[in-house]
Amino acid sequence: MGLDRFDPNLVTHELIQDLKWDAALRKRFEADQTSVLDLYPLRPEERTAIDDGDFRALYDMGLHPYLGGQLARLMYGNAAGPDATRAVNRLVASLTGEDRPDDRTTT
Amino acid sequence: MAEIVLALAASHAPGLAGLYEGAPEQTKADVDKMYGAMAAEIAAANLDVLILFGNDHLANSKVLEYPDFLVGMAEEHSGPYEWFKPWLGCRDYTLPGRPDVAEAMISGMARRGIKFFGRRQNLRFDDNLSIPTVLCDLDTNQVPVVPVLQNCTVPPIPDQRECYTVGQALGDIIAKDLPAGMRVGLFGSGGLSHEPGGKRYFYIDEEFDQWFLGMLEHGDHQKLLDEVTPQRMEQSGEGGTAELFAWFILLGAIGDRPVSRLGYTAYDNFKCGVGAVRWDMGAGA
Repeated sequence: MGLDRFDPNLVTHELIQDLKWDAALRKRFEADQTSVLDLYPLRPEERTAIDDGDFRALYDMGLHPYLGGQLARLMYGNAAGPDATRAVNRLVASLTGEDRPDDRTTT
Repeated sequence: MAEIVLALAASHAPGLAGLYEGAPEQTKADVDKMYGAMAAEIAAANLDVLILFGNDHLANSKVLEYPDFLVGMAEEHSGPYEWFKPWLGCRDYTLPGRPDVAEAMISGMARRGIKFFGRRQNLRFDDNLSIPTVLCDLDTNQVPVVPVLQNCTVPPIPDQRECYTVGQALGDIIAKDLPAGMRVGLFGSGGLSHEPGGKRYFYIDEEFDQWFLGMLEHGDHQKLLDEVTPQRMEQSGEGGTAELFAWFILLGAIGDRPVSRLGYTAYDNFKCGVGAVRWDMGAGA
């Protein structure tokens, strides 16, 4: 699930990098995720995994885990505290199949 | 010849700034002790330049065109990069750069058969530079810095032996290519055990961290090169623990020197084993 499956060609990497580097694109993603995903030549299964927040599937397709963590922040919240807690816990829940209570404050 | 007068290595983690206030008192005391000691060492060293190696964290280049070493050549280095600010929760900073030293490193590495990329624009800095800057007061003391952001996580990754070789070349550049009398500090930023973005996000392998720090104190570089392998690091945290490759660059640059452990703490909300060391540059290599 980790770097052993890493595929540099996965278009999701470019989506995440662009979202980190382009505040206007990020704002648009927050308001209308679909219209931003339409800009990228994502494979159907890749697109479905993003729509579903299925990080396990994305990692199995070759998403770099470090960027997976950042995609979770882009989708669920980036600020230290409750936002990041939600992002980290949803990521870990997707990867392990086990729900985590949002009982931590993290960053 | 220029001289390496200071060599430090320490962890960086966003939580060291953003979650510091909520950490247990003992953890805060450990952090204060480690980074306070390094701040004092840096302030007293009267450095002409601090060369800092740290994980780029996929912050500056796309995956399909990823350099192994990217040198910050800017006149000034400002951070943190905008997207990381709410994550880090630390103050903004601007540090003086040393473009002349950056250029000497890039050309010196090229002459020695090693490819260093450079960028004259300000790089995007996250905790790699931001944590040592705000915790060691690099900004308030206006310490001139050349940041080198390295590939610790995008396969294929320069491993411990390659990084040690890069470090040896760096030591040679400092000795032969930089101006006589220049006082150079080195900082390895990264590690210890952690797994950012992985299913063990909160995991800290204290046993590995103590083993690694103990190996450093023992001082046998060959043993470190043989045993602190990428595979061993990945066992203790996929995609994160390998930041310790930055420490191997310092080992190569300074040679066999005594090392002092400045501290260690493991607090799961930091999501990273946090440790720091200082090499004794007054002792013979």
